[in-house]
Amino acid sequence: MKTKITAVTLAFATALTACAPQQTGGTAGAWPRKGKPITLIVGFAPGAAVDAAARVIAPVLEKELGTNVEVLNKPGAGGQIGYTALTNAKPDGYTIGATGSPSVVVSPLDPSRGATYTRASFLPLGMQVLDPMLIGVAPGSPYTTLKDLIEAVKKKPKSVTVPTTGVQTGEHFALADIQQRTGAQFAPVHFSEGASQAIAAFLGKHVNAYVGNVSDVRDLVTQGKIKVLGVMSGERSPFLPDAPTFAEQGYQIEAATARGYSAPAGLPADVQKKIESALGKAIEDPAVVAKLKNLGLATVYKSGPQYTTYWQEQESTFKNALPLVRNEG
Amino acid sequence: MDVLSELLSGLATALTPQNLLYAFIGCLLGTLIGVLPGIGPVAGVALLIPLTLNLEPTSAIIMLAAIFYGTQYGGTITSVLLNTPGEAASAITTIDGYAMTKQGRAGAALTIAALGSFVGGTVATIGLVVAARPLGDLGLRIGPPEFFALMVVGICLLVALAGRSMTRALISGVLGLLIAMVGIDPVAGAPRFTFGSERLLDGISFVAVIIGLFGLSEVLAKATTGTSRAMTPGLRALLPTRTDLRRSAPAIARGTGIGFVLGLIPGMTGSVSSLLAYGAERKFSRHRAELGSGAVEGVAGPETANNAHANGALVPLFTLGIPASPTIAVLMGAFLQQGLTPGPTLFTEHADVAWAIIASLFVGNVILLILNVPLVRVWTAILRIPYPVLTALILMFMVVGTYTINFTVFDVFVMIGFGLLGLLLRRLDIPLAPLVLTLVLGPLMERSLRESLELSQGDFTVFLTRPISVVLLVIALVIAASPLLRLRKPAALTDDPEA
Repeated sequence: MKTKITAVTLAFATALTACAPQQTGGTAGAWPRKGKPITLIVGFAPGAAVDAAARVIAPVLEKELGTNVEVLNKPGAGGQIGYTALTNAKPDGYTIGATGSPSVVVSPLDPSRGATYTRASFLPLGMQVLDPMLIGVAPGSPYTTLKDLIEAVKKKPKSVTVPTTGVQTGEHFALADIQQRTGAQFAPVHFSEGASQAIAAFLGKHVNAYVGNVSDVRDLVTQGKIKVLGVMSGERSPFLPDAPTFAEQGYQIEAATARGYSAPAGLPADVQKKIESALGKAIEDPAVVAKLKNLGLATVYKSGPQYTTYWQEQESTFKNALPLVRNEG
Repeated sequence: MDVLSELLSGLATALTPQNLLYAFIGCLLGTLIGVLPGIGPVAGVALLIPLTLNLEPTSAIIMLAAIFYGTQYGGTITSVLLNTPGEAASAITTIDGYAMTKQGRAGAALTIAALGSFVGGTVATIGLVVAARPLGDLGLRIGPPEFFALMVVGICLLVALAGRSMTRALISGVLGLLIAMVGIDPVAGAPRFTFGSERLLDGISFVAVIIGLFGLSEVLAKATTGTSRAMTPGLRALLPTRTDLRRSAPAIARGTGIGFVLGLIPGMTGSVSSLLAYGAERKFSRHRAELGSGAVEGVAGPETANNAHANGALVPLFTLGIPASPTIAVLMGAFLQQGLTPGPTLFTEHADVAWAIIASLFVGNVILLILNVPLVRVWTAILRIPYPVLTALILMFMVVGTYTINFTVFDVFVMIGFGLLGLLLRRLDIPLAPLVLTLVLGPLMERSLRESLELSQGDFTVFLTRPISVVLLVIALVIAASPLLRLRKPAALTDDPEA
């Protein structure tokens, strides 16, 4: 029987040493310490663009930095739960997170959300994509053009339900913008865990129309499961060449979600430099760009400082629009 | 028979010696990692992903699927032997699994768990093969109101977990809801019950609560009562008896059904499946009176359900491109890595890969079974360690396990706190299972309720105007009212031939 006990002990010991470096260490040295993984927090549920982009970039970062990069989903409250975890983490470079605008920009501006972070709590490391918003309906819907839909909603406010990825997220702002400019008041349903839930609700016909990003629907368009009525960008999206823009149909509305990566503020300068450069390389890696293209995502790289400036601009833009998307209850 | 021939060619790919080897290594490594406390399937798979990066797509995904099965089973091993669940989905298995260990039947429990996982996983994969498309559509029909109604059914199973006193079960259930409330409001974002503490913003770690409530409180209870008899299993007890097998069969069938159906629904977690399967056993098993004190159904049901769930959750991934659980998301990450976009287009653009993966799921299940049944003897050898030493080991496992969830000592204190609470509840004869039930279901129920009411713009009749939701609510009502009906005809309770 002794051999068996040895076998078991051995198994445990091997397994324990496998994760030992994560707990021991403590010796000061080069970042990242060998064997200590970096956690990449995603504030939305698995699936859809934020999560997918993070999972595509993680292994490239891994190669650049020489240590594991693990994606951790912390969904809820339209990203706020993940952002809170990110800003609460030690600024030691072992925790970074995906940050998306408007959600990350706006959540600290509304006092009713009680966010524990502000813009200053984040250190923007780099921006990856700009993903335009759009509105679409199921094939066979009574609304065949954007005008149909908007006129119908104007006539009967709140008669058309649409999903968002949470209160004060990109979708919510886009709806507010539509309401302000056209007078059409949609009824938002907040799926606070992210776009994968919102898409499921749309495909299950639990909501009447879909508001979301180009990347959410690219695959659905090829399958004929959604008819895109309008894209909220200046030009047609290269991923949806047949879908008209809002502007083409006489509505001057543009909206997009900007996604990048940030660390908690207070990162040592040398660590910051290392991550920023690794991230820049990873984002612009041709293989990564190609994989994102497959997902319907256009890479628009901004370096850490550029992303910081962009964030500040976004903050002043969204501050003005905030009253439109206040927490109702 | 187009499907069959494609599946066969997939099997041919999966069964090359090389791929079999990857599956075998994956299963073994996964099991070892799963045995480590605090490392559940998600972290386990994530940890081992780098091993697969340089393999070709099919081999990589085959190995990952094997790792995934392995980690899940590894979690069960610690639940049964050490009363320390490695992950949320096997938490409920500790109740009867550990009770069986105390009776010297750990081997039987582990073998049944492996068998149940095999059946659940295989049946669910067959479901994926024959009817992925209609099943995917079925999952989509569960919108927020139906989801909420389903959660109500789950909460009503609390009456089955009540034991002797309904009041005590309700106290336990409310405690669970209360704990679930701590953290950031999942919709509006405001902090709740955090008392200004940053630590609490992230909520209370589920695994820390479970390890404390079940594992630590058991050790404490034993220490305070002073019983420390050894649990050496007899050789005979290593294998399940024929009675065990016969009794497990219906539990495995129910577990498969529950796990598979819930797995189809986007947003449902594996722990809901295992909890509801346990509840179903408490409610419908012919041996329900024995559950809680080492009944084999209490292991077979939930363990089957959580594996069936995991495989069922592949349906939304393959038909819609939506990963229904965090572990599936890790698999999806591997797809993306290899330049494959999960979803229906996978079958048209990369049919060979898609079918090889499905075939490898079958292979992975078989390997899990043939690898783990012989290993059961090795695992149960742990119990030959003298009890005082074993207790020290268990305590170490619990502390390390909770620490590694988020690498914070705070979680260790949470675990100890809940250990003391668990001891208190045991002393007061308050059952722990309802607390776990509401802790898991509470947040899902809150979210779906709020989504439903946004959908209907505040109109509560939304739950009564949708057919699936109405049917579910009626079932909930029947379950909740059943203790009253039972009072009227007590004869129904004692008609068990084997009692």
